[in-house]
Amino acid sequence: MASPILEGERLTMRFGGLVAMAEVSFELARGEILGIIGPNGAGKSTLFNIISGLYVPSSGEVRLEGQRLNGVPAHTIVGRGIARTFQSSRLFGDLSVLDNVIVGRHTQTHCGVFDAIFRRGRANGELKRAAAHSEHLLRTVSHNLFEQRHRPAAELPQADRRRLEIARALASEPKVLLLDEPSSGMDDADTDALMDDIRSVCAETPDLSLMIVEHDMRLVAALPHRVMVLDYGQKLADGPFEEVRRIPRVQEAYLGRRGAASHAEG
Amino acid sequence: MALIVATEAVGAVFLRQFLLADDWRLIVTLLAIFAAALVAFERRPNLEGVIASAFRTQSGFAILLGVALVALFPFALEKNTYALHLCVVAQLYAALALALNFQLGSANIPNFATGASYGIGAYASALLALNFDVSFWIALPAAAIVATAFGFLLGIPSMRTRESYLALVTIAFGVVINQLLNTLDFTGGPNGLVGIPAPQIFGHSFASPLVVLGYELPPQANFYYLSAMLVFVAILFAERLHNSRVGLAWNALRADELAARCQGINTTWYKVLAFAVDAFLAGFAGTIYAFYVGFISPENFTFLVSVTIMTMVIAGGMDNILGVVVGAVLLTLLPEKLRAFSDYRILFFGVTVIGFLLIRPQGIFPKRLRQYEA
Repeated sequence: MASPILEGERLTMRFGGLVAMAEVSFELARGEILGIIGPNGAGKSTLFNIISGLYVPSSGEVRLEGQRLNGVPAHTIVGRGIARTFQSSRLFGDLSVLDNVIVGRHTQTHCGVFDAIFRRGRANGELKRAAAHSEHLLRTVSHNLFEQRHRPAAELPQADRRRLEIARALASEPKVLLLDEPSSGMDDADTDALMDDIRSVCAETPDLSLMIVEHDMRLVAALPHRVMVLDYGQKLADGPFEEVRRIPRVQEAYLGRRGAASHAEG
Repeated sequence: MALIVATEAVGAVFLRQFLLADDWRLIVTLLAIFAAALVAFERRPNLEGVIASAFRTQSGFAILLGVALVALFPFALEKNTYALHLCVVAQLYAALALALNFQLGSANIPNFATGASYGIGAYASALLALNFDVSFWIALPAAAIVATAFGFLLGIPSMRTRESYLALVTIAFGVVINQLLNTLDFTGGPNGLVGIPAPQIFGHSFASPLVVLGYELPPQANFYYLSAMLVFVAILFAERLHNSRVGLAWNALRADELAARCQGINTTWYKVLAFAVDAFLAGFAGTIYAFYVGFISPENFTFLVSVTIMTMVIAGGMDNILGVVVGAVLLTLLPEKLRAFSDYRILFFGVTVIGFLLIRPQGIFPKRLRQYEA
């Protein structure tokens, strides 16, 4: 395997006396899709918050293409090439769908206050290009979403909100995309459509690496190349889904405790 | 085009009648007409949409006509100096409200220190003029730079706090500035600064009447045009920033700060920037005010002034330039025009503002979605 695009080394996160994550290491290859599963409170979202710079790990190191990310502010990390979505969708509800994606292009645009006021042509040109690119992106992710681009984001149905979050994250042209429970609140049909959308995004940008936190076992079985299991902030297993699901400790910790393998809670 | 002419003409005539009205019955009737118009807008969103799209498609013409109306407006006031004075004050408040709108409207930063920035601008320019004989035209940008520096100064500690705590920091800043103006020797203490000279341009003093083609306008007209220019510049700034990457970043910050950070927006920087832009424009307004009245004291720049400006933004419509300007004009004129009710003036003022907010909960003109032409 070539050198990983993203790697975490012995990541530990303590909040006071609580250890939310203990010595978790992982590697993500270019173009790979890594699924992350585990019961609630296992540390999946903590891991995403560390990678995206919202938390600074108590110890351990995150590296993007060999460069240390610890302590780099969240807004800079986006510029370096890691974008994310949120478990509870966090759209800019009072902006239009299109504006949400244009905001996502913040790191790809550069005009400041001075340009906006005194160099109107430059600022407008840049914004127009960003708008055109965002429309193209919306169309790639979902044509339905593109049709609704002039509506306020808050008015979108749940499935479209998820798609919009993905489109917004893609707007920064990331190398690594973190999806936090993309299918939560979706029914089976919506989830199938979402998987198709993710596949088409991956086909469009083969170098993009994905990390997906998911509860829906159908999605976990179908999409990721590899699955990592977390429990109580520790890494239980890492490998192809078919292998991982047979490990007794995994079944006990996650699948067993949650009941049927096909449908964990959303 | 007829629609634009009609809308702007109705607005101008309404404002003129309201300014010149003395009889309380007339004032109440005019307010009732305004309320009825708001009810119509609220009930029939199409009506608003049609007018808004007419203005958007022919914005050049609408702006030209608006500028012409503003330029001709003093001639329609029958040399009423009091009405002209109200216009000047209303325009200064419009500029202040537009300044605050960058924070409160665009980025949802509750800044209660706009009055302080206004005061810093006024004092900085007055001190320059009185102690160093600096002319108005140099004091104007200099005071804006001083106010901006203070804006940065306030912005930096504010970044460590948010929401209610942020509001407290800005209130404290306003109080500290007010106390300093009250106690420092070189600011004249509670007596303030007296004898600020009127500005001059090409030998024409702003204290003398303005003669246009043989028609003599009272001296206030000089400042009317000056403050109109300030409002024009403020609107230009507001419009350009709103429709830019910066405005979008502020809006993202308003909607969800954490999500904004995860789109690569340096939220700290954009908040400080909003403080600076607010202080910059407020500094301009302060300078014009100081040179207009010729006498300033700390009580012109109290906490109450900041609250008034904030009310203008909220009642007018957050993040809507037209709404903020209308809110500022309305809230400046209302307490003056309600003098007919003498002791109950402030009560009626409050009731009227609450009434308008009941009709239009999002403000007189609520914020709109951005439009992109393909």
